[in-house]
Amino acid sequence: MEAFFATKLDAFAKGKISRRALLETLTLAASTAYAAAPAAAAPASDPALKIALCNHISYNCPDFKKGADWYSKVFNLDQIGASKIDVALPFGKRGEKPFGVTANDVPLTHLIIRTRDLNAPAEGGAPRRKSQASIEHIGYTVADFDREKAKADLKAMGVENVRDGGLYSLHMTDAFGYDVQISGVANNALTDGA
Amino acid sequence: MEKFVDRLISQFESGQIGRREFCQTLATAAAVFAGGLEANAAPAGKGFKMLGLNHLSYQCPDYRKARDFYSSMFGMQVTNDKGKDRANLAFGPEPDKGGNFLVVHNPGANPPKPSEAVIDHICYTISNYDEGKVRAALKARGFDNPTGRDESRHVYDPFDYDIQIASARQENAFRREGR
Repeated sequence: MEAFFATKLDAFAKGKISRRALLETLTLAASTAYAAAPAAAAPASDPALKIALCNHISYNCPDFKKGADWYSKVFNLDQIGASKIDVALPFGKRGEKPFGVTANDVPLTHLIIRTRDLNAPAEGGAPRRKSQASIEHIGYTVADFDREKAKADLKAMGVENVRDGGLYSLHMTDAFGYDVQISGVANNALTDGA
Repeated sequence: MEKFVDRLISQFESGQIGRREFCQTLATAAAVFAGGLEANAAPAGKGFKMLGLNHLSYQCPDYRKARDFYSSMFGMQVTNDKGKDRANLAFGPEPDKGGNFLVVHNPGANPPKPSEAVIDHICYTISNYDEGKVRAALKARGFDNPTGRDESRHVYDPFDYDIQIASARQENAFRREGR
């Protein structure tokens, strides 16, 4: 796709096609290019375990209400089903499908913000193991991402430690100093770290 | 789309962007257009319109081990692995149409400051979840007794990180309404 755009742009730069022709050609191509694109092939694995999407992120912090309020404010997220120790924040409204998903049994990703003892048994099992790994930051995709505007908006909301991240994103820290990244879809598995 | 392309051409003509950036931006816009992003405009007022998870940055002692585990077990697609210290593992929709990815990486030189919050587990959705097939697939990989309940199982990855896999019936934020 990029090669096609480059070819047309070069033709325009050399005066072979008019600006109007360039505009029409690129608009048509960009609007229809992916209409029938097949899904990307996945490596061999058992189909029974193939992941469709992230279901939820379990975020544990000293004060789940404070944590939830921060994410609600910054990302316009509703808080659902609060208990004494946690609350869920779905990334959209009831009935909406996750962005880019067509299957009917893939729910919106959500945050569960909790305050609980991490040494307590998980779902009735043994105490949770001490892990050598960690999720040291999370990136979220937001609509209409414009880095400079986003930077100003975040600062206006009182968000701390806002800073550039790579070519396409911003980093910040949340109410508990956790590293949060935001970007548009330009930051993805093909561009990040390329 | 036409207004967007028109603006992009103007930026190219005025020298604000180069040929490469022009082509990359338009390619991304094309993919986004196909994914229906224009229907997901940010709401008026404060705060951002969350479209979804972009990525999880997973730090561990050996990214290769994590890469091999997640790609072979859960069908994640390996991208941008330069054989040094990190790789991306894509899953869900295509990368530029709402797909999520896990960045598995070795510890970096500049780790984030310590936080009071911790992500204690990640749950992944499996479409068409079949408890019998899931249990059999887990057993084939040595997970004989996953914890949890039907259609919501927990296992540990090679670095003892807690992973949950679940169906939409068991794990759905809106099931919590009214409780």
